[in-house]
Amino acid sequence: MDFSFPKEYQLFRRMVSDFAENEVRPLAKAVDREHRVPLETVKKAAALGLMGVPFPQKYGGMGGGEMGYCIMMEELGRVCTSTATVIGAHTGIAAMSIYLDGTEEQKQKFLVPLASGRLIGAFGLTEAQAGSDAAAIKTTAVRDGNHFVINGAKVFITNGDIAGIMTVMAVTDPSLGAYGGITAFIVETDTPGFSIGSLENKMGIRGSSTAECVFQDVRVPKENVLGQFGAGFLTFMKSLDIGRASLGAACLGGAQAALEGCMEWTMAREQFGVPVATKQSVYFMIADMAAEIEALRSMIYRTAWLIDTHQPHIKEAAICKLYGSEVASRCVHKAMQIHGALGYSRDYWVERAYRDARIAEIFEGTNEIQRVVLASNLFRPYGMRIPS
Amino acid sequence: MDFGYLDSWIEEQVGREVVEQTGTGYRNIWVVAETLDGALAPATVQTMGQARDMADQIGVYLFGVLLGEQAVPLAQELIACGADKVLAAGTPTLNEYQPETYTKALAGLVNQYRPEILLLAATALGNDLAPRLAQRLNTGLVSHCVKVEIDMSERLLLGTFRILGGEMYNTLACPEARPQMATLQPGYFRTPNQDAYRSGEVQEVEVDLSGAAGRLTWVRLDAAVDKPAVPLRKARIVVSAGRGLGDAEGFALAEQLAAALGGVVAGTRGALDEGWIAEEQVVGIGGESVAPDLYIACGLSGDIHHYFGIRNSKLVIAINSDEKAPIMKAANYAVVGDARQILPAVVQALTK
Amino acid sequence: MKIIVLIKQVLDPTGILVRRDKEKMFINREEYILGPDSKAALEAALRLKDAGGAEVVALSMGKPRAEDALREALAMGCDAACLVSDEALNQADIPMAASVLAAAVQKLGGADLIVAGRESGDTGAGQIGSRLAEALNYAQVTDVHVLTGEPGAVQATRRWGSGYATVQAMLPAVVTVAPEAFPARYAHGARIMNAYREWQVTTWNAADLGLDEAALKPLLAFRGESFPLPLPVGEQVKGAPASAAHEMITALKLQKVIG
Repeated sequence: MDFSFPKEYQLFRRMVSDFAENEVRPLAKAVDREHRVPLETVKKAAALGLMGVPFPQKYGGMGGGEMGYCIMMEELGRVCTSTATVIGAHTGIAAMSIYLDGTEEQKQKFLVPLASGRLIGAFGLTEAQAGSDAAAIKTTAVRDGNHFVINGAKVFITNGDIAGIMTVMAVTDPSLGAYGGITAFIVETDTPGFSIGSLENKMGIRGSSTAECVFQDVRVPKENVLGQFGAGFLTFMKSLDIGRASLGAACLGGAQAALEGCMEWTMAREQFGVPVATKQSVYFMIADMAAEIEALRSMIYRTAWLIDTHQPHIKEAAICKLYGSEVASRCVHKAMQIHGALGYSRDYWVERAYRDARIAEIFEGTNEIQRVVLASNLFRPYGMRIPS
Repeated sequence: MDFGYLDSWIEEQVGREVVEQTGTGYRNIWVVAETLDGALAPATVQTMGQARDMADQIGVYLFGVLLGEQAVPLAQELIACGADKVLAAGTPTLNEYQPETYTKALAGLVNQYRPEILLLAATALGNDLAPRLAQRLNTGLVSHCVKVEIDMSERLLLGTFRILGGEMYNTLACPEARPQMATLQPGYFRTPNQDAYRSGEVQEVEVDLSGAAGRLTWVRLDAAVDKPAVPLRKARIVVSAGRGLGDAEGFALAEQLAAALGGVVAGTRGALDEGWIAEEQVVGIGGESVAPDLYIACGLSGDIHHYFGIRNSKLVIAINSDEKAPIMKAANYAVVGDARQILPAVVQALTK
Repeated sequence: MKIIVLIKQVLDPTGILVRRDKEKMFINREEYILGPDSKAALEAALRLKDAGGAEVVALSMGKPRAEDALREALAMGCDAACLVSDEALNQADIPMAASVLAAAVQKLGGADLIVAGRESGDTGAGQIGSRLAEALNYAQVTDVHVLTGEPGAVQATRRWGSGYATVQAMLPAVVTVAPEAFPARYAHGARIMNAYREWQVTTWNAADLGLDEAALKPLLAFRGESFPLPLPVGEQVKGAPASAAHEMITALKLQKVIG
């Protein structure tokens, strides 16, 4: 049983790590301060094939699978959670949904420009009244000849304002409910009727944009139905299920950065005549961080392996997201405590890490939803159904 | 007896002179001189000083070798630097450096006179030429030596050079092949006193350059090249400004020092607040971390927050009027004084 | 144009800690990387390929693990890679390395241009370029900061005297490049994924190159390692500005930061 990464993945990690260090880290503070998306980084990433890491090369992707994608998300998460979020939402759920459920024509038409980074993708699910209760969406898609007309509004859509392609969930038959009544569509955002409402003023990941997307009689061709008609809910769930693993990887990167930062600081900072790293209250915190991070690391990459080898992975991916987000939160919390008042200052990385980590427990399926998914997968083999 | 088999053996050594490589038969120390702007290059002068010491040590002659018409008149200078004899090859073909002609000329002289030690300065020319010559002579070369000495028990040249960015030294010798070659790194050897009254022999020599054709066309000299931008965190030399510099005029002194050293300017949060530097130039835990070979902290007290950003610097020099400032205990050298007075003095000393 | 790039896999210096006070070198993290000097050579060659089309072959002499460095060179954009590996070469000195590489270049059918880093990085001798040029009877230009292709030649701006000089060298030629002048590109992700699949790394040993005992005898002998003195901490320099400045500059010269 070989737990080492294959050589090309080790090489890939080094490249992404260098890229993150040289191209992403220098902008991390600025994008947070200025509340802007680092589009220049997206462009550089696209040139290196980093906007389509998991997708096969025949679709313009990098051919790195989930393993390569988690490696990239970890290395990006280590230097800038905002950048990881921008690329993650694009790759892990938006483009991924087309990869998982698109027809060959759709992949050629929509996945190729996304994988090559020519266009940015967004995943349009959430609405004001439909968060965890995703089936409560009200955006409608009504058949009109060879088109569907979409009306409604989505909120909290990452990359909403910079996306060229958005996968949108809409109600096609209100009488049928979640299974049968909801369909997924691929929408090109330059279609008339699509507009951006307000942008969220967020606590963290301020280097990513979170937009309200308004659909007013947006006509999409019927060829843009993604997956089976009426099975939109399944299409989106599939994408979210896989996306969890890579989100966990980004959390792993953030936690790792917190650990490294704490170690460097505690070795340099002296109090009571000695480096604080030698104080038990401090090194116990660091030891706890390290233990959790190692456990998370194994979890993430084993899950990536399950996905890449087409084995069942829903339970594991939920754990990646659930555990990963909580590990990251605990680590940045300890980091702030270890840095003391310094950690509280806006001039240093600690408070940004603290603000950035929090969202992971909330988006892409709250941790409560993850627990529902996990529990239902645990009890199902025993015939016990856990209702949501 | 038919010695024809030897002919074919010699033929196999195409392009290489067959050189006798026994321990005996090679004697004396040679320095191949380089000229710069009509005089001996300072690096050559330093090499001569070291070579003179070694020649005295083992009791042999020191030869200087000059190539090209413009070099021949410098023979007397070479003697003043310690040469006992100067071989001056004034062939016009050698006026311009071509690796092929210089290699052929020197290999011919070496094979004729058989020096046991051959030295060049590790200048752009020396670094280009010495390995080609060593390969021609099938001998060993120790490059960029910061120290050379003779192991008297074996009459071997020991060349010591820097590795790992100068954190360590390695020493090599060439036990059998002759001549033992080395290039000497400029700046590591003392400049000897030149004795204008020293006497020595100057011999003008002919060199056979047949078959050696230079393949370089010298287009022009350039004062500088455009260098790719280096971010602060990768800069080699950083001059950092703190509030202790007083005002913009004081800050300008730090900028002048940076320019004189070929480094970049950084500073503390205080310098940022004063408007002297930009956000990206702030060094410390809240700004950039730097790891230069040289960090000069001017007028900054350097608490842990600042020091954290410079802790990986190789050499830290702090200039501060307060000898109790934290940076003054952490720096390698703590210059106690008013930065506004010391900086101009340093710049003046550097640029004169 | 056919370009051969000499690359070398080296121990990552960031994993090495030298304690001058203990006169010891600690290898905290033993990791082998494609050295930055080699990467600069690759970058220079790949720029020529981008500008005018060229076939770029990466060549390395090293232990079997050096194949990883060659794979990285392929990922960066090389068209082929060749490794010379042999037990007998593990302790090779520079003249031996030059003979080996010259034989390998000849077995590869020669090249129009050979590009190497100015120094190899770890021991930094800076001799391979010129030695190889002599062994192959190629033209040579060392310490190059700007490199462009011309018909039948290359134009190079190289360090010269206290400044620089621009020369044109007839091909075939060997060029060594200054690492700071050629910041290396990132390898494209897809090429990295394919690096261990799409290409065969030609591997030769000493016998394949026809190298006999005589060629494999080292000329240089290792005579020891040593350490510079530890740097002082908190050493005070006092006095009038002029004398303090003088002392400061002496310290800089002593530590070899300035000439």
